[in-house]
Amino acid sequence: MRRVDACGNENGGVDAPCPALLEFENVSFTYPDGQPGLDKCSLTIREGSRNALIGANGAGKTTLFLHANGLFRPQAGMVRYAAHPIDYSRAGLRRLRGEVGLVFQNPDQQLFSANVREDVSFGPLNLGLDQKTVRERVDAALDAVRMSGFADRLAHTLSFGQKKRVCIAGVLAMRPRLLILDEPMAGLDHAMRKELLSVFDSLYGQGITLLLATHDIDFAFRWADRIHLMAAGRCVAAFDAENLADNAEALEEAALPLPDIIGLRRHLVGTRALDDSRAPRSVPELLDLLMQRSI
Amino acid sequence: MLIDLCAYSNRWRAADPAAKGLFALSGLVSAFAAGNPLAAAGIGAIVSGMTVWGAGIPFSRFFRAALAPLCFFLLGALSLACSVDYRTGDFIWLPGGWTPVGRLAARSCGALASLLFFALTTPMTDQIALFRRLRLPETLIEIMVLCYRMLFVFSEALRDIHTAQDSRLGYASPSLALRSTGNLAAVLVVQVWQRARALHLGALSRNGDGVLRFLGPVFANARRDMVFAFAGSALLFALLAVMP
Ligand SMILES: Nc1ncnc2c1ncn2[C@@H]1O[C@H](COP(=O)(O)OP(=O)(O)OP(=O)(O)O)[C@@H](O)[C@H]1O
Ligand SMILES: [Mg+2]
Repeated sequence: MRRVDACGNENGGVDAPCPALLEFENVSFTYPDGQPGLDKCSLTIREGSRNALIGANGAGKTTLFLHANGLFRPQAGMVRYAAHPIDYSRAGLRRLRGEVGLVFQNPDQQLFSANVREDVSFGPLNLGLDQKTVRERVDAALDAVRMSGFADRLAHTLSFGQKKRVCIAGVLAMRPRLLILDEPMAGLDHAMRKELLSVFDSLYGQGITLLLATHDIDFAFRWADRIHLMAAGRCVAAFDAENLADNAEALEEAALPLPDIIGLRRHLVGTRALDDSRAPRSVPELLDLLMQRSI
Repeated sequence: MLIDLCAYSNRWRAADPAAKGLFALSGLVSAFAAGNPLAAAGIGAIVSGMTVWGAGIPFSRFFRAALAPLCFFLLGALSLACSVDYRTGDFIWLPGGWTPVGRLAARSCGALASLLFFALTTPMTDQIALFRRLRLPETLIEIMVLCYRMLFVFSEALRDIHTAQDSRLGYASPSLALRSTGNLAAVLVVQVWQRARALHLGALSRNGDGVLRFLGPVFANARRDMVFAFAGSALLFALLAVMP
C-alpha cells in the first residue's frame, strides 16, 4: 500500500520521522548594544509539524525568528534550511524567504502600503508571479483570514487585530513551506483566535510546517506536536507535546506552569473518575472522555 | 485628514483615476490659458460644481480644504494690488489697475479648483497607481508610497507618545508641558528611526529588494469614465472659445 505521510513523502506506509526542515545549531547572537539575543541555541523543526515556541518576555523568540528568515546572521553557530546551511547571498536569501514566511509580532512593522490589497500583493509580486496569479492569491489569502471585505480599506484605519490578520494574509499569499508567526494570537478576540486556528489546521492539512511563538502553555499543549522552550536566549528544552507532563522540571526552569488540564486529569485519575490510559490535551477532549464513561 | 476622508467617501471614489486626472488637467490648462478672467472664473465654478454636486463632497469640507491655498492667493494678489516705490517711499495702490489682479485671482482659483477636484475625489493610493501607469520615475513613486504610509505611522507614534505623557500628567502645568514637549521630540526621533528600520526588515522578510511592487486596483467602468472626462474637458475648452 502506498500512502503519503505528514512530510509529503510516499514512503510505503513506514512511519519514519519527517526530515528536519529548519535546524539551529549552537546559534549565538549579541545585539550591538551588548544585549544577548541568542546563546548557543539549538533547535530542530521537522517538516510538516506544528511547533510552539514558548519563553518569557525577552527570552529571544523574536531574535530566533529573525535568524530563521535570514534577516539576522548568526555570529556563531549555523542555521540550516532543508539540510543545507543558509546561503546568505542575494539569490540564496530570495529563495529562503520565498519558502520561510515570517509574520511579525507588531503588524505596523509589516504593513507599508496604505492599502490592504496592495500590501498583501507585495510578497507574491516579489516572487515574480504574474498579475493574474497574484490577484488570485491575494483574494484567497484575504479570504483565509476573513478580511475580504476589507481589501480596499486603508491600513491605518484598521484595528490592531485586523492589521494582524492582513499581515498573516500578506505572508500566506506567498504560499510558504514553513510559516513562522510571532505571537499571532496576541490581541485577537476569541472568535478570531478560533478562526485563525482553523486556518492553521487547514495549512497543516496542506503539509505546511508551522512554528509559532506564544505565551499560552495551555494552547501550546492543546495544539502543537512539539514544544520548544526558551529562556534567556538559550533553547532550554524541546519535547513532543504529549510528553509534556514528563517535562515539568524544564517548564519550571522556564518559569512556566503545567497546563491546567494536566492537573485536572491527575486529580480525576486520583479519584478514579478517569482511567490512567487516556491523556486528554484540552477541556473538550476531557469532557468527551468523562461523558463516555458516564454513559 | 480631511482630504483623505473626502477621497475615500465621495461618490466618484470608484471612477477611473485616469478620467478624474484628465478632467483635472483640462481644468488646470484651460484656467491658465484663459485670457478673460470671467472665463477662468467660470472654469473654476464648473469644476467646483463638479466636486460638490457631482462627486458629492460637502461644501463645508470643500471650503475648508480650499481655505489655506486661498489665503496664499490673497497674499499674492495683495502684492500685485499695492506696491511701494522704493526711491520715494510712496505707497502705490493698484499700479497696473485691476486687470492683472483680477486675471491672477481668477486663473488661480480655476487652477486650485482643478487640483482640489483631483485631490478630493481620488485616494492617494489610486493617485499613485495612476502615476505608475503613466510611467513616472519609480523612485519618485516609492517616495510617495513610503511618505504616505509613514505619515500615518508617525502621526500614530506622535499621538501614542503624547497620550502616554498626558495620562501621566505630563501636560498638567506649562513648565511640565514644556518639558514633555522636549521629551516627545527626542523620543519621536528615536521611534521614527526604529519604525523605519522595522519597516525595512518587514520588507526584506517578504523578499523586498528595494523595489516596491503592488497590485494596482481595477476600475470596472474605465471606458465610461473616460467618455465623461472627455465631455467635461470639451465643455471647459468650449467656454474658453466663447469667452476669448
Ligand atoms: N534591537 C535590539 N537592540 C538591543 N537589544 C535587543 C533588541 N531587540 C531585542 N533585544 C534584546 O534581546 C533579547 C531578546 O529579545 P527578543 O525580542 O528576541 O525577545 P522575545 O522572546 O521575542 O520577547 P517578547 O515575548 O517580549 O516578544 C532581550 O533581552 C531584548 O532586550
Ligand atoms: Mg518577541
